[in-house]
Amino acid sequence: MADTGAHVPVRRVGHTSAIRVLSDSFRMFDPRVQVRYPVMFCVYVLFLFLVVLTLYPRAFPDIARTYDAGYYLWVTIILFLTLWFANISTAIAEAQGRARADSLREIRSGVRARQVLPDGTVRWIPSDVLHIGDTIQIRAGEPVPMDGDVIAGAVLIDESMMTGESAAVTRESGGDQTSVLGGTMVLQGSARVRVTAVSGGSFLDRLIRLVEGVGREPSPNELALIVLLSALTISLFVIVVTFLYLANFTDIIVISLATIVALFVCLMPTTIGALLPAIGISGINRTAKANIIAKSGKAVEAAGDLDVLILDKTGTITVGNRLAVKFIPGPGVSDAELLEVALLSSSLDDTPEGRSIVRLAAHRNATTRRLEKDKFKVLPFTAERKMSGIILPDGSEVFKGSIQAMEAYGAILPAALRNEAAAASKEGMTPLVISLQKKPLGLVLLKDVVKPGIRDRLRELKTMGIRTIMCTGDNRLTAAAIAHESGVDEFVAEAKPETKLLLVDREKSQGRLVAMSGDGTNDAPALARADVGLAMNSGTGAAKEAGNMVDLDNDPTKLIELVSIGKQLLITRGALTTFSITNDVAKYFAIIPAIFIASGAGALPGVSIMNVLGLTNPQYAVLAALLFNGLIIPCLIPLALIGVPFRPRSAIDLLRRNLLYYGFGGLVSAFVGIKLCYLFIVWLAAAPAVVGLGAGVGHYLPIGGL
Amino acid sequence: MFDPSSLWDVIVLIGIVAAIAPWFGGYLGRIYMDRPMPGDSILGPIEAGIYRLLGTSPRKSMTAAEYFVALLVVNGMTWGFLYIWFVFQPSLPLDATGAPAMSWTLAFHSASSFTTNTDFTHFTNESQLSLGSLVIAWPLALFVSASTGLAVMAAMIRGFVRRDGTLGNFYVDMVRTISRLLLPLAIVFAVILVLLGVPQTFTNTVTAYPLTGGTQTIYLGPVASFTSISLLGTNGGGFYSANAASPLANPSALSNLFETFVMMLLGFSAPFAFGKIVRRRGEAWPYAGTIYIVFGIALGLFIAYQFATNPALASIPGLGPQLGGYPVGQETRFSLPEGSLFQVVSVYSNVGANNMQIGALQPVSQLVLLFGMFTQSTPGGEGTGFAMLLLFAVLGIFVGGLMVGRTPEYLGKKVKTGQVRWAALALLSHPAAILVPFVVAVVGGFVTVSSGSLPATAHTFTSVLYEFTSESANNGSALTAGGSSTFNDSTPFFNLAGAAVMLFGRFVPIYAMLKVGGMFSQQETLPPGQGTLRTASVTFTVYITLFLVIVTVLLFLPVIAMGPLSQIVGGG
Repeated sequence: MADTGAHVPVRRVGHTSAIRVLSDSFRMFDPRVQVRYPVMFCVYVLFLFLVVLTLYPRAFPDIARTYDAGYYLWVTIILFLTLWFANISTAIAEAQGRARADSLREIRSGVRARQVLPDGTVRWIPSDVLHIGDTIQIRAGEPVPMDGDVIAGAVLIDESMMTGESAAVTRESGGDQTSVLGGTMVLQGSARVRVTAVSGGSFLDRLIRLVEGVGREPSPNELALIVLLSALTISLFVIVVTFLYLANFTDIIVISLATIVALFVCLMPTTIGALLPAIGISGINRTAKANIIAKSGKAVEAAGDLDVLILDKTGTITVGNRLAVKFIPGPGVSDAELLEVALLSSSLDDTPEGRSIVRLAAHRNATTRRLEKDKFKVLPFTAERKMSGIILPDGSEVFKGSIQAMEAYGAILPAALRNEAAAASKEGMTPLVISLQKKPLGLVLLKDVVKPGIRDRLRELKTMGIRTIMCTGDNRLTAAAIAHESGVDEFVAEAKPETKLLLVDREKSQGRLVAMSGDGTNDAPALARADVGLAMNSGTGAAKEAGNMVDLDNDPTKLIELVSIGKQLLITRGALTTFSITNDVAKYFAIIPAIFIASGAGALPGVSIMNVLGLTNPQYAVLAALLFNGLIIPCLIPLALIGVPFRPRSAIDLLRRNLLYYGFGGLVSAFVGIKLCYLFIVWLAAAPAVVGLGAGVGHYLPIGGL
Repeated sequence: MFDPSSLWDVIVLIGIVAAIAPWFGGYLGRIYMDRPMPGDSILGPIEAGIYRLLGTSPRKSMTAAEYFVALLVVNGMTWGFLYIWFVFQPSLPLDATGAPAMSWTLAFHSASSFTTNTDFTHFTNESQLSLGSLVIAWPLALFVSASTGLAVMAAMIRGFVRRDGTLGNFYVDMVRTISRLLLPLAIVFAVILVLLGVPQTFTNTVTAYPLTGGTQTIYLGPVASFTSISLLGTNGGGFYSANAASPLANPSALSNLFETFVMMLLGFSAPFAFGKIVRRRGEAWPYAGTIYIVFGIALGLFIAYQFATNPALASIPGLGPQLGGYPVGQETRFSLPEGSLFQVVSVYSNVGANNMQIGALQPVSQLVLLFGMFTQSTPGGEGTGFAMLLLFAVLGIFVGGLMVGRTPEYLGKKVKTGQVRWAALALLSHPAAILVPFVVAVVGGFVTVSSGSLPATAHTFTSVLYEFTSESANNGSALTAGGSSTFNDSTPFFNLAGAAVMLFGRFVPIYAMLKVGGMFSQQETLPPGQGTLRTASVTFTVYITLFLVIVTVLLFLPVIAMGPLSQIVGGG
């Protein structure tokens, strides 16, 4: 269940998408799109400025003495590439979201609804003219036209197109399983449904908009980062402009506008600035890929911040049903005898407990006579009776049930078994008595089985500093045993429906960020109150409305996955910011010496110390720094889309590692990268024929001063 | 002259400061905590009387905006008082020296300089300042500006522990800073300075008859008390123009070391005051660590370059090897390390007192000093230096917090857009406040030497750059003690531009510090979870140090390149 949607109908970014990405990347040169992200908008304005300068140098008489057509052209081209790479990263992220949205949209096109009018007549109308509160009829073989709640009848529904879950689900009136989703397919039965959403507002529509990233608002952290990057950009602008004025005033150093633009663009945090939109979109994409629909990017970020997870015992920590784990024969009863009777008692029992008894018995090589259903009288398990069994053709009664129920029925336990039962209860197990003709033969112990792997996941959470609280209606003993076995930090036993809300409130009042999952209507208040409320798709409309995320797979364990996705999102931003900043240091070491070399001061000790890269041609050095600055963006697109590798660790450990990888790595990679770019430009200038652009390239590659 | 053993007194002095700082910082912190402390029985009633006089009460806590307004009122009144005094100084008491009235632009610059704790002077004390200006007007500003800075630090730190949106009462903080810290310590230190041979008298001048013939007028006055508060409050103004290079203000090697100690005291203790106020002692160490690392490297480089040979001299044939370092510009009464320690401490603590001619130092040494004025926070001036370091930390925590995958938080308070905006504004306005007037001065042709010509030599750049850097950082250090000789800075342009830079460099960051503190104060304190970044750790210390150094380099490398580097290029 935890596997993340391998069977989800997401189209890979294929041929047609590649063209779309390309066309989108050009469409994004629209200033209205560019202006949304200040750092790249700044590059955009500088690019337009340089285009004008390159084409009409006479528009700015001052630059005449430093104008060099080839050099200006190349700086302009690299600026264009930088912007284009940034657009591509956003376009790819959007395409990934769209691929999923498209597959969802196909589901709904042209669906018609069978509306039930108040007088009982039925008529066909297009689904998009339905109103909230309308009643519709759904039938086997037809798609559900719109989200709604079943008010009469029961249906079996295939939700695989939405959730990827192949098992069909039952939806019936009353209870917590009433919600049907527009776009899913009715397999069996028919029902009346009250419409809960209108066209464009349905769950499907919202989902499509979200994965497409339409109306995506920057989340609080993203906003704070944009503020920081903008402040840095403004400050660098002042620095660079004053630098230009001053340098040109001295007549010692002459810097052209192209060089100063290059210096400015290199120093601006363009790497993170370019990838910021893609990181945000891909955060939502990653949640969508895990089959979770987040109602906002903010909710995804909040998931990274969580302090406390409130987990349901049943379904989240345990597999959900108690399973037989052990047989204990009574005094004077052989193992084989007990096993045979146990098998008899459960062969026709369809409850998970019953089936698990059969499985365990079979595992122990128990055999029994072949049972033919119609020859026996079956007493199924009911909540009142608390026991079940069969009456054989010869009239002998084979029963199993709780100790109280069985003693009331007449099967009084011997002291030895009574002690065994008490001991088992203490360990959180549920003993059932198995009897033949009111004689107790022994016990079968049922146990709530902890999901495989849950222990490790909880340990990971602990490493990340997240506390887990298990919530269960079981008694303290059982709860304590499960808590101990699974490793949750805290548990609440004998929980009532409102317990979760109290828990959420308690934790929130202490300033903690809380997440919980739920599916019932009575979970809705707590889901709404929690910072991250993960509603199960199978749950009621109220629950889904209250939570800020919906899990299409109905797997509450997803909360744990969400934490990683949220953290990864923040770490990716932080890591690339650090990378961007340390990169800058290296760029200084390329450009500042270049400026001095161009002024004939390259041999001076201060300059040669700074020129650690040994770049001898100043124009190539500036172009190399600028080219590296642009090329690093596509190199980091995969990182932005997939997110930086994240493994649960302590915060300080993460800081140390990411500083090393992205801080120190940013420094080193920039030095190496700029040197490589420099060598490439030297090679390009020397061998114009190799690149197949004709001799003209050599001409346009600059060779003069700055 | 090269005497490695003289390194010992440098090491011992730093050791003494390092040993005292945690304890003294604790005391400093207690001043700003609402709890009983020694001296209450005597000072309490006096303070209460002052509060009644001011119509305020310690219980009246202010928001960031209210705190800033109160601060502006007090500083504005001080500024007005100084301005009027300087303009009318010949008509005011204690005018024995016959100093003329200041021009309005010079008075504007001087009043701004003293109010902002910069104490950069565009005049010569001995001939342009009356004794009244020197012993009444200026010392008032020494106390006001020092207590303002410390109050701002206290207010900002309170933001981390309060939840009601307030930062404390400015008047109360200021009064307590003076009564519990500045006044008692200034008196004690003044007495020690007197014992070390610094004059303290109301005699204005004595006339000396040197062996070389003629007469010499030696100006005297309450030098010890002036020097004491000037250094303690990281003001840095000197009784004499020659500042701490004057044998009367700094008579011996011992007084030199003692004055160094006085300058270091507040800056190196500030982190521990922080630890005290936020009630987490361990949180002081990352800042103390950052300060020691940056300051230590700076001092090491500075001393190394004072001992190194000058490449320009080494290249002259026939000069022979240089022995004993490059003492040009140094006060020869002190050993190279002693003089260096004083100078580096003075600039890095934003005191700005000089005991050498910085303009004569090697370029790297000048760079080291400039770097201290760029960070303004290692340890920086009275309170504001540490507050600046906290602003660096807020930004560092923001980026670092993202890197550990949580919404960044510090001491249980989330770092949000608002804090990032104001912290970034304060840190990033510094280069702008230096560079914009610098370019206007150079390109606008305002840089003149006495002859009135326009010498755009690289060395002039360095001087102008150093001046605006010093003014924006509210440092007060000048390339040349006793007024710059490389260009004429006592012109209306440099008076007004300098005043604007100082006021901007003072009150914009202060507003940002209060604003950031206020924003933290409005937040609930979150309990520390296991996932919270442990800030009291070596990793965090190294991280904040690197963050501070890299951001500073990023913002100031072009500035650096234009100054001393252009000096190399220009051959100046």
